[in-house]
Amino acid sequence: MEKQSKRDMSRTLQRRENISGYLFMLPSLVFFVGFVVIPMFLCIGMSFTDANLNAKTATGFVGLTNFVNLWQDAKFLDALKNTFVLVVVTVPAVTLFSLWVSSVIYKMHSAALSAFRCIFYLPVVTGSVAVTVVWKWILDNYNGILNTALKGAGIIEKNINWLGTSGIAIWCIILIMFTTYVGQPIVLYVSALGNVDQTLVEAAQVDGATNFQVFWRIKWPQIMPTTLYILVITTINTFQCFALIQLLTSGGSGTNTVMYYIYQTAFKLTEQPGHFGYANAMGVMLAIFIAILSAIQFKLGKEK
Amino acid sequence: MKISSGRTKAYKVVSFIILILLAVLFLFPLYWIITGAFKPAADIYNQEPVWWPTEWVAKNFENLFNKRTAALFSLFGIDGPTGPAAIRWLINTVFMSIMAMILTCLTAALAGYALAKKRFRGRAVLFGLIVCAMALPKQVILIPLLKEMSALNLYDTLWAVIIPTVGWPFGVFLMKQFSEGIPGEILEAARIDGAGELKTFSTVVLPMVKPGIGALAIFTFINTWNDYFMQLIMLSSNANYTSPLGIATLQAEGSVDMGLLMAGAALASVPIIIVFLIFQKYFTQGITMGAVKG
Amino acid sequence: MKTIRKALALVLALCMVLALAACTGGTEPTKAPESKAPESQAPEETKTPDEPGTEMAEEITLWTYPVGNWGDEANVKSITDAFTADTGIKVTVEYLDYTNGDDKVNTAITAGNQPDLVLEGPERLVANWGANNHMVDLSDLLDDTDKKELLPAPQNACVNDAGKMYEYPLCMTAHCMAINKQAFEAADALQYVDLENRTWSTENFIKAVNALYDHFGDTVGVVYCNGQGGDQGTRELVINMYGGTFTNADHSKLTWDDAKNIKAFQTLYDLDGIAYDASVTASDEIAKFYQGVLKMAFCWNSGQQLNPNAADTGEGKTVTGDDIIFMCQPTEDGSASRLGGGIWGFGIFDKGDASRIAAAKEFIKWVCDSEHTVDCVPNGFFPVRSTAADGASDLSAFTDNAMVKEYFEVMLPRMGDYYQVIPGWAGIRTEWWTMLQDIGAGTPVEEAVAKGTTAANAVVEAAS
Repeated sequence: MEKQSKRDMSRTLQRRENISGYLFMLPSLVFFVGFVVIPMFLCIGMSFTDANLNAKTATGFVGLTNFVNLWQDAKFLDALKNTFVLVVVTVPAVTLFSLWVSSVIYKMHSAALSAFRCIFYLPVVTGSVAVTVVWKWILDNYNGILNTALKGAGIIEKNINWLGTSGIAIWCIILIMFTTYVGQPIVLYVSALGNVDQTLVEAAQVDGATNFQVFWRIKWPQIMPTTLYILVITTINTFQCFALIQLLTSGGSGTNTVMYYIYQTAFKLTEQPGHFGYANAMGVMLAIFIAILSAIQFKLGKEK
Repeated sequence: MKISSGRTKAYKVVSFIILILLAVLFLFPLYWIITGAFKPAADIYNQEPVWWPTEWVAKNFENLFNKRTAALFSLFGIDGPTGPAAIRWLINTVFMSIMAMILTCLTAALAGYALAKKRFRGRAVLFGLIVCAMALPKQVILIPLLKEMSALNLYDTLWAVIIPTVGWPFGVFLMKQFSEGIPGEILEAARIDGAGELKTFSTVVLPMVKPGIGALAIFTFINTWNDYFMQLIMLSSNANYTSPLGIATLQAEGSVDMGLLMAGAALASVPIIIVFLIFQKYFTQGITMGAVKG
Repeated sequence: MKTIRKALALVLALCMVLALAACTGGTEPTKAPESKAPESQAPEETKTPDEPGTEMAEEITLWTYPVGNWGDEANVKSITDAFTADTGIKVTVEYLDYTNGDDKVNTAITAGNQPDLVLEGPERLVANWGANNHMVDLSDLLDDTDKKELLPAPQNACVNDAGKMYEYPLCMTAHCMAINKQAFEAADALQYVDLENRTWSTENFIKAVNALYDHFGDTVGVVYCNGQGGDQGTRELVINMYGGTFTNADHSKLTWDDAKNIKAFQTLYDLDGIAYDASVTASDEIAKFYQGVLKMAFCWNSGQQLNPNAADTGEGKTVTGDDIIFMCQPTEDGSASRLGGGIWGFGIFDKGDASRIAAAKEFIKWVCDSEHTVDCVPNGFFPVRSTAADGASDLSAFTDNAMVKEYFEVMLPRMGDYYQVIPGWAGIRTEWWTMLQDIGAGTPVEEAVAKGTTAANAVVEAAS
């Protein structure tokens, strides 16, 4: 139908549509093109050079050197792995957890419901830096309250160095990230579950469907758009994660991520020749991975 | 039937207990910030953590306020009084978040409507580009963005944080999804009535996408508030710091005074928590309404 | 297919637009944001009045690292206010920290917004920013009298091989370590320490750590290696234990994999009371020592001794009132160790504005070489010259504090080689931390050190 009408549209109409469309887009495009698209292209361009802070050593175009070096840089590969772990663990965990919490609380008395909703949303409004700073103190190796409490309860005998041990630190970061990310999904799921068509649920129950079946066959398809939305925003948020890494471990103890490594290469390791070019090459690689991931997510979403 | 309901009951009890435990986990940081902010130094430095302040003192806030000072209102071009920098950071953060929120909502509402309802050429490509750029972390474009901001003379101003936030296309995506729900007939009717494009937008479209704008506003406000990374890169002088950046700087500075740090964290987070609790209903409404179409 | 083709076309078009923009010299075709930023812009612009005819700018900016009380706003303000009253030049001060300070300066250089003046040491001013042409050569500030007045060590560290002076030194100290007297007494470990000379042998150090561990049952000292913040202290601890070195004599190669150093790394790793801890920064270590959790601190100096943890709770005391004793790092034969050097002074960033440079130089002269110098040297630190203002101001009696005097007489002469001027310092520090973290995580010491040394030497090579 739509295609048909489009074809019928006269040229003048199409032109009018073009002009008004772009005029409406203009304010947004100014910002989007100016501060996302153009920098992205500059970033791609710079990734083929050995641009750096100390111009005296820059010689210009270096082809694919930066990209070749990346794959031989153990630190980058490690950072890539950690980034992958962060996303692969956090996104499903946040989604499943918030779905579970919502399914438990959405039928509660409204006061209890809003109390729980508030509590789970609190870390979001507290702010990631404030939350990080306090968690750093809680997890402190020597006088953090977690070690003291666990020792007091007789669960552990010696202090655990939560943020200083490879293999543990990244899980602490995931946990903290998790507490700051689930707030919004829970709010969303509570309302989505509340909007599920009750007549269908009742009909299924009359037919003798178990709770699980009701959930899987009836509720799940209806909350699918919400799930997709949650997947998208959680993925975005996970890739933006920076404060946690910088303030808790500075990328040490096996918690380096590509996002942090880019920053470090760009502004800390400035004596490394061509560090801007190298950092941009990392950025391009990261962008490619994210594009692939987004494509997969959207494809899955469309199939469902 | 009976077994099943018994099992359901057990499940309910168990999950309620788990929920309570989780609630403790989620509340604990806030409790620790607030008690920490009012603990005397003896409690802070006690080798055994002190669960409740032995005495509630304002010393930490005093230290925080005396540590750094800044002109309070120079953001608005007023040569006002000099006061605690922590207060200035709060003013900056609020200003930055509100500006980013307003600009994002405005531009995204216009663009989202156009993408959803206008059949202009290049629409699909543009939308594809927007979707691709949505998940892009800002670290990727960090260096070009920094150079751009300095070329525009905006480095070390709050605008260097606000503008890239507005450019980030998630808002457009959200508003496009939301504008899809506007029935074409209504737009057609408005046009037949002789309403111009802008009039149609403000009288017909805007009211219909209002909930979406609400969701986007909250999302942008909180995201900008928490966008520590851009603040770290773009702001260099104390008077232009934001609360998150200020707290992070306090943490980085030589003396690790947890009381001072907690006072800073409390000052930065408690106002927004209070606002959240007062407007809680609208908050949750706003968030959920925007996602119906997600 | 069609969308892909369109996308490609768009990409191409954008590239062309970009190329055009690049050719015309502007990177930014959009002008809208500028008009939207009037109120925050206005005060910024008034910062740089370009009055022709005046030789000195009326306003300069100073970024200072927390060197003693130069990180304390009240103190710095009293200095800059006095300077403004004398000269009419206003100084805007920003305070950096050792965690993010370097990143901040580098970011500002990238954005062309670097300060006029910066207060830090030669490893950054001379070896990094100076060597990379971001700084102004200050040798014209150094006349023959100054050359005589300035002590040779700081003078040499501030002037590079080509004779360019990128830092005008203000103060210095020697980095040592510290122990908690009451804790040592409780563990009966004070017997291992030569309190008079403030020295001890490595063997006694090991005995003391073991005695402390047996008594307290927990970590008593930390080889801190969080990837940010200070790294002094751990270096001197390692190289002094068995007489190793950090770099070769001409500062062109790192010698971490020296057998003597490897033995030290291994000894520290094997001690139950010492932990390689990646969650702790230098300032965390100081705070935990001050708190009484740790019984010894490896990151210490006279400034810390005067005001532990910058907490204003009394000279040489922990928060609980225990006595802090400053000590040399242990050496194999129990002689004095080579203490780590700390030299701080001002550098001027070259922003191409002669009037600002002139004003900044005026500030340096006022602070570092005048009758004000004696008041400008941070508390607990030492002047780098015998007299200032061409001999008019005698600096030998700069303090009447007994501890500072003793430190000056006993510890300062023990300052070792200032090797931090090796090229690539920032990258080297990162490799040092990574190596310590590797050792702490259980990588065999020899392997971790070999890997770390190779990586760090690659950094040196790339940066030279």
